[in-house]
Amino acid sequence: MTMAGYGLGRYIVRRLLQTIPVVLGVVILNFLLLQMAPGDLATVLAGEAGGAPKEYIDQLRQRFGQDQPVYVQLFNYLKNLLVLDLGYSFRQSAPVLDLLLKRLGPTLLLMGATLVVSLLIGVAMGLLAALWVRTWKDHVISVAAIIFYATPLFWIGLMLILVFSIKLDWLPTSGMEDVVAFHEGFARAVDIARHLVLPTVTLSMFYLALYARLMRASMLEQRGLDYVTTARAKGLTERQIITRHVFRNALLPVITMAGIQFGSLLGGSVVVESVFAWPGLGQLAYQSLFARDFNLLLGIFFLSACLVVIVNLLVDVIYVLLDPRIRIG
Amino acid sequence: MRTFMRSLALSVVTAAMMSAAAYAQKPGGTLVQITQPEPPNLAPYISTSGPIGQVTAKVFDGLLEYDFNLKPQPGLAESFTVSPDGKTVTFKLRRGVKFHDGKPFTSADVQFSIMEVLKKNHPRGIATFKEVEAVETPDETTAIFKLANPAPYMMAALSGYESPIVPKHVYGTGDIKAHANANNPIGTGPFKFVEWRRGEFVRLDKNPEYWRAGRPFLDRIVVRFIADASTRTAVLEKGEAHIAGFGAVPYNDVKKLAALPSLEVTTKGYEMISPIVEMVINTKKPPFDNAKVRQAINYAVDRKFVIDNVWFGFGKPAMGPISSNFEPSGLYGAGVDYTVADRVERANKLLDEAGFPKKADGFRFEMVHDITPYGEEWQRFGEAVQQALAKVGIKATLRYEDVPKWLKRIYTDYDFDMSSNFLYNLADPVLGVHRGFHSDRIKKGTVFVNGSQWSSPETDALMDKATVEADATKRGAMYRELVKKVTEASPVIYVHELLFPTIINKQFKDLIDGPLGIYGNYANAHRQ
Repeated sequence: MTMAGYGLGRYIVRRLLQTIPVVLGVVILNFLLLQMAPGDLATVLAGEAGGAPKEYIDQLRQRFGQDQPVYVQLFNYLKNLLVLDLGYSFRQSAPVLDLLLKRLGPTLLLMGATLVVSLLIGVAMGLLAALWVRTWKDHVISVAAIIFYATPLFWIGLMLILVFSIKLDWLPTSGMEDVVAFHEGFARAVDIARHLVLPTVTLSMFYLALYARLMRASMLEQRGLDYVTTARAKGLTERQIITRHVFRNALLPVITMAGIQFGSLLGGSVVVESVFAWPGLGQLAYQSLFARDFNLLLGIFFLSACLVVIVNLLVDVIYVLLDPRIRIG
Repeated sequence: MRTFMRSLALSVVTAAMMSAAAYAQKPGGTLVQITQPEPPNLAPYISTSGPIGQVTAKVFDGLLEYDFNLKPQPGLAESFTVSPDGKTVTFKLRRGVKFHDGKPFTSADVQFSIMEVLKKNHPRGIATFKEVEAVETPDETTAIFKLANPAPYMMAALSGYESPIVPKHVYGTGDIKAHANANNPIGTGPFKFVEWRRGEFVRLDKNPEYWRAGRPFLDRIVVRFIADASTRTAVLEKGEAHIAGFGAVPYNDVKKLAALPSLEVTTKGYEMISPIVEMVINTKKPPFDNAKVRQAINYAVDRKFVIDNVWFGFGKPAMGPISSNFEPSGLYGAGVDYTVADRVERANKLLDEAGFPKKADGFRFEMVHDITPYGEEWQRFGEAVQQALAKVGIKATLRYEDVPKWLKRIYTDYDFDMSSNFLYNLADPVLGVHRGFHSDRIKKGTVFVNGSQWSSPETDALMDKATVEADATKRGAMYRELVKKVTEASPVIYVHELLFPTIINKQFKDLIDGPLGIYGNYANAHRQ
């Protein structure tokens, strides 16, 4: 193992250790915030049942452990968290961890696809706009980016369904796979990919606009710096300067932004998931909030906090790979 | 002995004849149903959350089924007899029925389901089976219900949706409230549970050993969950799903879908649900403790406007707490008519008499109108009521909160003036209507009961008498008197009988074949 590799490994371990108090803080804060929401799961369950006797509701509260003081509930929760026991969702009649893991796959699939698509297209658009700066092509790209950025996601989603699914009949309207055919093996992968297209495009619209604008600005800024003049004096061609120097440096802020945006990607996907009936974490969070299913909600917060922390760690590692001058530690 | 035996025997013959004809139906096909929202679990024996029943009614059978006139039909019970004193009900059970795991269905399962599961844990079963003291099982195909008092309403609540019969050998072990099979239901119904992918769908496959020969016709039912209303409309339009009801499609989209050649819209299949749109008034809080004020508000509401403009015509004016769906069974009655032509003048006069003259700004008093948080149409309804009240000099502000908060406000804290709401009449007035204004249903913390906190000794007595009265004609007379008294006092304003549109793809036939509609079992459904 090289020295650098060794240093990187230690760095990652140290960063992971640092995240423990962060995640713990997130959990405790969320726990206390949720206590302030009026109404509880027992009333919701009774409400869904169209009414229930008082004895039934009291019985439920006792089962949920809500008859105990808040600090006891919090202590029990944290104690169980240590062994990754996220509790039981009484509304969904299933362990929270099982529910989360089932949703994690579709969420990561949608988010991963969105991240790749929006970064690739966004960076390409920004790059081209910067190269064509102050020409009509630059204006077209910039205006398009602003329109994408400003249009509500649910509207884009519905319009895409209307055009590509209902009118043109190219793609399925919603869901993750064909529930009449129930494809298997490779056919299933193709089927899921087809279902993935519209939600990914919808969710990517917003983020690629962001990345395109950032990339354009960053490219223009880098091109004016001294090292570009030096490189030009050295006799490098414009193409070499752009690809080897300017592009790599301009990419750094975009990567930073992508890391920060990851958290909001989780939030933005609630809308897209509900429009396309995508079985991800966002919908689960939304449902459990309105049902006051706090065990499940805390589990989702915990998982999201972990995801955001890990992605930001990844971003830091990517920095090092993109720009060797950035030191870790 | 009653004539039930004869009518049951007759319907068995008719059913046999029908099934002979039905063999011509083409078997096969996958039906995709949209259910909104996704059910929290698949345990209809402990939860009556609506979406659960839309799925599990295909998996579990009940002792009886019902026709559109709410008359009992054979189910797991081939016939039943009621003793003259109404306190013994004997069910003759079907022989050779198997649960989906291959084990036989016997009277022990009936005893277990009623006594151990429904009577103790089912939110409505606790009331339905209150009078049942024991279920005796002299042999494997006989179940005898021993009642403390006659319970005519119970006979209307024995469908697979309302009172599912569950296997004792599965649900008898372990904690029934957190049972391992809560999301993996095992019943005797026409479809077997296969898989539930949360956030996506539930898959049910044909039960080849179903006790009705030749049924079901469909190979599979997939129930999909789609959170966005516009997407649900698009999915139906494209033919990716074939049936949706209970407000799953927004009212303003129904017209558009009805115009498509591939789809049809029906309002049948809710006769055992009978939802009534109402406004609950807090009768403990001045000025609403004054009956004249409540009557004035009742007159002020323009029912026709609300039905035509908020619900796009899906409704008819309610004449009291009991739905006109009970007309065939003789239990319906109309109360005070609040839809009269001079209703605005009457309302103004009543408010003057009650001592609330119009002030300089044209208003008599201010109030807050809470909106039931079950969809956008309720906000439109709130706005319509607000305008109607302004015409009689009441200044109403609207308040919209989420479900848990609203439930707590109305049924625990009683911290409200008036709230919109909708209650189901269900299969019998005892189950769905009494809870709205009986004194024993003023229970702090219990939801969807007597939120107005109004009651009177006369109306309580009428309801108590009707609960145990076995003669339908006498019961009907009691209910007509009850409806008159309740509408006079007006603790709750019954606005209209809500008609839910069900959207059906014309490829499929006989989906809605009884008063439970989507809560039915689809045994007769087939593809064209």
